[in-house]
Amino acid sequence: MNNSSVGKIKRCLFLGMAALLCFSLVACAPKMITKGEKYPLMYEEHPASILILPPMNESTAADAKDYYATTIQEPLSFWGYYVFPYEITTELLKMEGIYDAELMKDLPLQKFREYFGADSVLFTTIKVWNLSYMVIAANLTVSVDCELKSTKSNATLWQYNGTVVVDLSGGNAGGGIAGLIASAIVTAVNTAMADYVPHARRANLMALRSLPYGKYHHLYGKDQAQQFQKQVRR
Amino acid sequence: MNSLKLAILIVLAVFLSACVPKQMYYWGNYSQSLYDAKKNPTEQSILTHQQSLENIIQESQKNNLRVPPGVYAELGYVYFRQNKKVLAIQNFNMERQLYPESALLMDRLVNAANLADKPKPSERVDSKTLTDKTNNQEK
Repeated sequence: MNNSSVGKIKRCLFLGMAALLCFSLVACAPKMITKGEKYPLMYEEHPASILILPPMNESTAADAKDYYATTIQEPLSFWGYYVFPYEITTELLKMEGIYDAELMKDLPLQKFREYFGADSVLFTTIKVWNLSYMVIAANLTVSVDCELKSTKSNATLWQYNGTVVVDLSGGNAGGGIAGLIASAIVTAVNTAMADYVPHARRANLMALRSLPYGKYHHLYGKDQAQQFQKQVRR
Repeated sequence: MNSLKLAILIVLAVFLSACVPKQMYYWGNYSQSLYDAKKNPTEQSILTHQQSLENIIQESQKNNLRVPPGVYAELGYVYFRQNKKVLAIQNFNMERQLYPESALLMDRLVNAANLADKPKPSERVDSKTLTDKTNNQEK
């Protein structure tokens, strides 16, 4: 074999590897989609106000509902919407005999327009709100489905899931049995202090990234081309 | 070389400062104090939440920011429950003025406050002095 043919083979090999790398990177890259493509109804209806309904709770934590509800009003306002004061609207709904968001799924949404003057209602479902223990580690997971529905047409205007998984084991504590014991202790300590609320806030921000801006935001009506990560609905 | 670095730095600084939009709202301690009041509803935690609502309004006015949606209304509702109807109605009207989207709900709340039992003359004096006190505190 002479030198030139060796060079050729090397070059071919290199090209092949490069091509392979390209393919694998393409496969790994998250699929992106623009706000305008995904949520055209938001730009047709231009809802100005959002009524947050009490969250539905599919998680095993009974208190998740009350705590989660304290985290959503503030970020939504930064997206430029008029957000009805949750503390008042839930009280009023209770007076009307509606304690559970589960009961509201079947109500005609027109009612919320008549009673509150809301353009849209936000349904939130807490999917996961728990700690999962492994032998020497613990993961905290908060997962929330958000769905914005029109009170005019009952149509779904926007929908996204925010999920945050936090590793509470505090990183690698080194090898050996001493390391295992040390990390077990770290895990126990971190679990005791685990507070879901900051992570619920992060899950909200993750979901809201895909929400088109409302009328009080300076990018209102100008964000159709903004991209976000496409989600595969289960 | 140094002047080039400086120039780049200046351009970068100007560019970055142009990118940071003015903060939209001041929410202060809102979600923390609300969370505390939910988790452990004592007289103290509920009062702390009321103070954080009052603080949001003061700070927003000081910094020329729009008071965030729902804050005037929620504070009005706190006063309403404390039977301070004059203050309640004042705050409901502020919310309505700032956010026309809230008109229907605010009208409903103002009506409810008006329909609630009229305070006795002695209490009315009280609520008047309370109004003055709060106003003084705000100043």
